[in-house]
Amino acid sequence: MTQYLFGTSWKRWLPFLFLLPGLLAYFIIALGPSLATSVFSLTDVSGIPGIPINWIGFENYDEFLLRGLASRDNLAAITRTLIFMFFVTTIQFTLGLVVALLLNQGLKGTRYFRVLFFMPVILGVTIQGLIWTLFLYPLGGPVASITNDFLGLNLGFLGGPPREAFAWVIVVQIWANMGITMVIFLAGLQTVPEELYEVAEIDGANTWEIFRNVTWPLITPVVNTNLILNIIGSLQAWQLFLVLTGYKAGTQVMGYLVYAEGFGQTSGGAGASFRQGYAAAASMVLFVIVLVLGLSTQFLVQRRERRLLG
Amino acid sequence: MNKTRWLIVTIFVVFGLLLVACASGTATEAPPAEQPPAEQPPAEEPPAEEPPAEEPPAEDMEAVTLRVLTWQNPPTVEFVEAFNEKFEAAHPNITVDYSVVNANDIQTVTQTRLTANDIDVIAMFGFANAAQPFMSEVEPQAWQQLVQAGLLMDLTGQPFVDNYDEATIRDAGTVDGKVYQVNLGRVSYSGTYYNKDLFAEYGVEVPTTWDELVAACETFKENDIECMTNGGADGWPIFVGAYGLLGALYPDQAAMVEGLWTGELKWDDPETLELWEKYQVYAQEMLEPGTSGIAGDAAPGRFASGAVAMFPNGVWYAGAIEDSEPDFEWGYIPFPGSDNAEDNQYLFGKYDMGWAIAANTPNEEAALLYLSEFSEPDNYQEFVNAVGFIPTQPGATLDTQVGQEVAPYLENFLVGFEQFWSAPKGAGQWANGSQGAAWFQPFGEWDDAAALAQQSQADLQAGLDTLE
Repeated sequence: MTQYLFGTSWKRWLPFLFLLPGLLAYFIIALGPSLATSVFSLTDVSGIPGIPINWIGFENYDEFLLRGLASRDNLAAITRTLIFMFFVTTIQFTLGLVVALLLNQGLKGTRYFRVLFFMPVILGVTIQGLIWTLFLYPLGGPVASITNDFLGLNLGFLGGPPREAFAWVIVVQIWANMGITMVIFLAGLQTVPEELYEVAEIDGANTWEIFRNVTWPLITPVVNTNLILNIIGSLQAWQLFLVLTGYKAGTQVMGYLVYAEGFGQTSGGAGASFRQGYAAAASMVLFVIVLVLGLSTQFLVQRRERRLLG
Repeated sequence: MNKTRWLIVTIFVVFGLLLVACASGTATEAPPAEQPPAEQPPAEEPPAEEPPAEEPPAEDMEAVTLRVLTWQNPPTVEFVEAFNEKFEAAHPNITVDYSVVNANDIQTVTQTRLTANDIDVIAMFGFANAAQPFMSEVEPQAWQQLVQAGLLMDLTGQPFVDNYDEATIRDAGTVDGKVYQVNLGRVSYSGTYYNKDLFAEYGVEVPTTWDELVAACETFKENDIECMTNGGADGWPIFVGAYGLLGALYPDQAAMVEGLWTGELKWDDPETLELWEKYQVYAQEMLEPGTSGIAGDAAPGRFASGAVAMFPNGVWYAGAIEDSEPDFEWGYIPFPGSDNAEDNQYLFGKYDMGWAIAANTPNEEAALLYLSEFSEPDNYQEFVNAVGFIPTQPGATLDTQVGQEVAPYLENFLVGFEQFWSAPKGAGQWANGSQGAAWFQPFGEWDDAAALAQQSQADLQAGLDTLE
C-alpha cells in the first residue's frame, strides 16, 4: 500500500508547493529564456520592440552554417572557440592544480598567496581588461619593455596579428579565472586524510608516487568539477574579447559573435543591423556544442569516478 | 508516477511557450525585409509656433532630469559639458544627466537605452548605408530599425530644423519624408594631419602625390622620425586613415559600390590591385611600430608630441590635437593616394554627429528645448569651432584652423564609400575591401597584396552568388 509522507489529503502537494518558488525562479531566469531563444532563432526578430517578427524557419541556421563564405567565417569562429576551450582548460586546470598543491603544503604566507591568486577573479572583466591593456601596451609598456626592447622581439600584442591577439586573450582568461580552479582544488586536497600520506611515506613512496596513487584518485570529485566548469566556462567566454580586442577579424569566438550579431557590432565602422533572431540561431549552435562536450565530459569523468571510488 | 512525470513536462513546455508568446506579442505576417519600412503612426502634432512666453519661476516648474548620450570624442564631450552647464543655468528646473560611451559601443547602448526608455536626447551618426536599388536581401540598418519601431521622435516642423541646410536634413536625417535627426556637421576622414615644424626642419615639401608621400616618409625615417601614427588599438583608425587611397583611385564612391555589386568592378581588377599594394605600404612602411597598441583617443596626443610627422585620420581630432599642444604647428591635406596630383584634390567624408530625440521620452519639452538652444546660430558656431566639423548651418563659418585647412577642398567634398556600402548576405569577412589596410601585417595576417585582393573579391562574390 502506498504511503504518503504528508498524509492523504491536500497536504500531499506540500512538497511541490515548497519547491514552486525555486522552480519559478529557474523557469523565469534560465529555462524560459532558453526556450524563448530557441523559438526566436526560427524568426527574423531584431530585438527592437515594435518591429514585426516573421517566422522564417531554419533560414537563420542555413545562413549561419551554409551560406556563402560567411559560413566559412562562422565555422572558423566555432573552431577558434574549441581551440580557446582546449588551451584555457588544459593550462588553467594544470596551473590551478599545481598552485593548490603548493598552497596545501601549509608553508608560511600561504594565506596571503591564496588571496593573491584569487584576487583577479573578483576584479571583474572591465578591470581585468584595463590592467592587461596597460600591461601589454606596445610602446613602452611593462611586457613590451622586456619582449620588444630587451629581447628584440616585434610583438604587436592585442593590436597585432589576430593569432597573437588571440593567444594573449587566452593568457588573460587563464590569469583571470585560475583562482577559482585553485580554490576548488584546494578544497578537495584538504579532504584527503593526512594518515594516507604518512602511510605512503612510510612505505617509501616518493612525491610523484604519492600524488599519483593517493592524492590524484582521492581528489577525483573536484577534478571532475573543475574539468566541467573549465570546459563549459571557456566555451561561453567572450567578455575579455570585447574588452581587449573588439570585433577583430580572426579573433571572434562564438560567444562574442552572438553578442555582435545581436547588437549590430559586426561591421567595424560601417552600418550594421540588430539581428537577434540570427544571433539566437548562433547561440543555439553554441548550446549544442556545449551540450555535447559537457555531457560527454560528464559521462567520462563520472564513469572514472565510479571506477576509482566505487 | 507516469502521470506526474507528464504533468511536470507539460508545465515546463507550457511555461516556456507562455514566455515566448508574451515576448513576441507583435508577431505578424509582415512583408519581406527588403521592402521599405511600414508607415509610422502619425506623430504628435509639434507644438504650434508661438512667441516665447515668459518662463514661470523655477520653483514653480517641474524638476526634470534630461538624459543625454554621446560617444567619446574629447572636443565634443568638452563642448557638450560646457553647453550643459549653460543650459542648466538658463533653466534651473532642468538637470542634464550626460552619458558618454566608446564610439564602438554607441549603437548597442542606443538600442538598449531607447528600448528601455532610458534616454531622452541621443547623438547618432548621419543616416547612411540604406539599401539601394541595385542591392537585394540587405538587412535594414540600425537607424532604419529604430525609425521603423517608432523609437525616434518625428522632428518635422520643429523650428530649429530650419536652422540647418536642406541637403543635410534630406540626406542625413530624413526617412520617408519625416525628419528624425538634425545633423550637426560633416567631417572629412580621408586627409592627413602633418607636422609643419618637422617638414620645415627636414626640408620636406608637403606631398601632393603618392610618390612624394613615399619619399617624404623615407626622409623622415632616415632621420629617425616616425612617418605616421594612428589609433591602431581601436581597429577602425587604421582603415579610416587609408580612405584617401581608395578615394584617389575611385572618386565616385557611390558608383564604386554599385560597380562592386553589379560585377562591373572587382576588388582584384588589375587597376584595383594598385590600391592593395598601396594599402600594404601604408600599413607596413608608413605607420610607426607599435601603432597597434595606441588607443584612438591617444593618437592625437602622440602626434601633437612632435614625435611623428603625419597622422592620417578625420578632422574630428583637430580639437584634441590643439588641446594637447596649443603651440603645435600642423596642417591638414588630402591623403595623396594617386601618382597624379589632380586626383588628390578630393576630401571624402560623411555626416557625423547629429541629435535625435527618443519618441517615448517623458521629457519632450525639455528635449526639444535642448535641441532648439543647441541649434541657435551662436551656440552652433561655437560647437563647430570646438569640434572642427564642416558646418551644416548655412550661416556658420569655418573659423577654426581645421576649417581653414579644409576650405580649399570643400568644393570637392564627396561622401565616402563607407556611407554607401552594405555587404550581401553570405559575403565573407574580407568582402569590404575599403577596410583592407587593417588586414595587412602587423594588424592582420595578410602579407600578399594580390592574394588579399583575390580573397576580398572571392568573399564578395560568394555573397553575390547566393542572392536569389
